Amino acid sequence: MKKNIYQPVKAVIEEIIEETHAIKTFRLRPEADFNFATGQFIELTVPGVGEAPFTPSSDPGVKDSLELTIMNVGEVTSKLHTLHKGDVLGIRGPYGQGYPLDKFKGRDILIVGGGVGLAPLRSLLFSLFSGIDNYNKVVLRYGSRTSGDIVYKTLLPEWGKKDKVDVLVSVDVGDSSWLGNVGLVTTVLDNTGVDYSSAAAIVCGPPIMMKFVTLKLLDLGFQPPDIYLSMEKSMSCGLGKCGHCRVGKFYACKDGPVFTYEQLKDIHDIWD
Amino acid sequence: METYFLKNDDQLKFYERLEQEYDLYVPVKAESALKHEYEGQAKLPSADYFLKKFSQVNKEEIIFNEYRTVEPTRAFLTHYKEDIGNYKERPQALCGIKNCDIFSLKIQDSVFLGGEEVDPLYKARRDNTLLISGDCPHFKEVCFCRAFDINPYPVEGFDFNLSPLNNGYLLDVASQKAKIIALSLKGILTPATLGQLSGRAAKRESVNRRMDEHLAQHKIPKKEVLQEIVLSGYNSGVWQDEIRTCVECNGCVFICDTCHCFLLSEDSSSENARRLRLWDGCLLKNFTKVAGGANPLRLRYMRLRNRFLKKFDFFIANLGYQACCGCGRCIEVCPGKIDIRRILRKLYEEKYIPTG
Repeated sequence: MKKNIYQPVKAVIEEIIEETHAIKTFRLRPEADFNFATGQFIELTVPGVGEAPFTPSSDPGVKDSLELTIMNVGEVTSKLHTLHKGDVLGIRGPYGQGYPLDKFKGRDILIVGGGVGLAPLRSLLFSLFSGIDNYNKVVLRYGSRTSGDIVYKTLLPEWGKKDKVDVLVSVDVGDSSWLGNVGLVTTVLDNTGVDYSSAAAIVCGPPIMMKFVTLKLLDLGFQPPDIYLSMEKSMSCGLGKCGHCRVGKFYACKDGPVFTYEQLKDIHDIWD
Repeated sequence: METYFLKNDDQLKFYERLEQEYDLYVPVKAESALKHEYEGQAKLPSADYFLKKFSQVNKEEIIFNEYRTVEPTRAFLTHYKEDIGNYKERPQALCGIKNCDIFSLKIQDSVFLGGEEVDPLYKARRDNTLLISGDCPHFKEVCFCRAFDINPYPVEGFDFNLSPLNNGYLLDVASQKAKIIALSLKGILTPATLGQLSGRAAKRESVNRRMDEHLAQHKIPKKEVLQEIVLSGYNSGVWQDEIRTCVECNGCVFICDTCHCFLLSEDSSSENARRLRLWDGCLLKNFTKVAGGANPLRLRYMRLRNRFLKKFDFFIANLGYQACCGCGRCIEVCPGKIDIRRILRKLYEEKYIPTG
C-alpha cells in the first residue's frame, strides 16, 4: 500500500508568542522542510484530540519552520493553548488554492482583515513585501473588536513605515488606552488612496465581517472577480474527499480556501 | 467480452473456484427489519438479500438475488470505522452486485481514486475486489433506477455478470482477471448460443417494461432536470414539509451507496493515537459545525436540502451525473417515510406545473 495520505508528519513547537489573551502564535519546526504557497492551509494534529485546519501566518519563503496564529475557540485549539515549547504536534498539507500573487502584479492591493483573520493575511503581506517592486501599493485596513484583541501589535506599526505600504487599524469599541481610529472596518475603506476600479481586494475575517466588507467593496466599485475571500468551513481531510466543506459546486479545501466573489456570488447562504 | 452458459448444477463449482483465491461473499435471503409499505403490496416481491461469507453459509442458502441487497456495496470498500494505515486483507469477490451498485461505484471511485491524491486503502481494496454482478429479473417497490436511465442489468463495470436463463445462467466474462478464472472452468462453461443471447435480451426487455409501468405512478423527474429543480427549489417549502418526520437517524446516508462523506478521528486520547476514518453523514447535526459553534446547516431542513444539492447539483456540476442510482435503499430504511422520489417530484411540479 502506498503512503497514507491522511498521516501527519511531526512538528515540534519551537516558540509560543502570546498575541492577545485568547490568541497565540506557534512557531513549529517540522521533521523535514515544509513548502507552502501563501493562503494555502494545513491540517494540524493535536495528538489525542484531533485535527483542525489553519492557514500559516508566516513567510512562505521560510522553509524550515512555519507559524500558525490561533485563537482558543474549540476543542483542538483549547488543548493547543495549554501546550508548551518542545511539545510535538502533527501537520499535513499544504492544501488548497492560495492567493494568486501573479494576478496582483502592477496593481493596488487593498487588504482587509478582521480579528484573527489577519493571520493568513500576514503570510500574504510577507510575500508581497519580498516582491514589493511588483506591486503598485499595499493598503492594509485591519479591524479588531477592542485594542486588547489586536494581533501582531509590534509588527503593524513597522509595516506602516514601509515604502508603498499604508496601514490603518480600527477598533469596534474604543477605550481610554486606544488613540487610534474607532469604528467597524467597513468605515475605513473610503479614501484609502486605492484605485478601486483596478485594484485587487483581499478579505479575511469572521463571516459577518466578510459579508459587509464585500458589500462595501462592491459599493466602492470593485468587480466580483477582484475580491478575494477566505472561506471558513468545517473540514476534515483537506483533499476534497470527506465532503464536509462543500460550497455550491466547490469544496473549500480543494477549490479554495481563497475564492473570488465572482465564484461565490450566485451560491445561497455563503456567509452562514 | 465473452459469454458462456453455466448450468445451475455447476454454479457451486464456480463459487468454489472463486473461493480458492478470494474471500467470497454470496447472496442469501433474510428477513430484515425494513418494512416498506405501499398500496398494492402483493404485486411486487419484498424479500431482502444480504451478502454473507461463502465459507460461513450453508450452501443451500445461497440464492440468486433478484434485485440489490440491503447493504450498500460501498460497505465492502470503505468500512464504517477503520484504521487507514493498514491493509492486510485477502482479495474479496462480491457476488450479487447489481447495476445500481455499479453506477454508485463510479461515484466512490471518483471520490477516493480521483483528485490530486488517491486514497491508498480504498485503492488497495478496490484493486483486490472481484465484482460478480447479476441481472435483476425483478425489482422492489422502491427501485427506480430506470427513472435515471440506469438499466436493471449491467453491461459494463463488472468482472463477471450472471443473467439467469432457463436452468442456468449466461456468464459474461469481462476483465482479464475473470478471463483467467474462466479458462480454468472450461469444463463447466459452454459458449452462449445466439438463441440464449436473444432469450436474455427478451428477459431484459420484459423487466424494463414492467419497471417502467411501475414507475409511471411515481412521476419521477428525468435526470436532465435534476440539477435545475434542486437549485430552483432552494427556497421551496418542500424541505420544511418533508423534514417533519425525520428523526435524524442518518439511515438514509449510511445505507446510501453513493454517499461517501467521512471524518478523520483518533482511536484514543493517547499521544500515540492511531488515525481512523469513520463514515460521516450530512443529516447529523454537527456535520458542518465549526470551532466556536457556527453551523451553516443548523436546522434539519437545511441538512435535507444540502443532501439533495450534493447529490443533484454538486455531482452533476463536477462529474456530469447525479449521485443517486435509484436503488431506493434510503426510502426503505427511513422510519419517517421520507421518499426521495416524492421530494424530486414535488420540486419538479413546483417549477413546471403552475398552480391554478
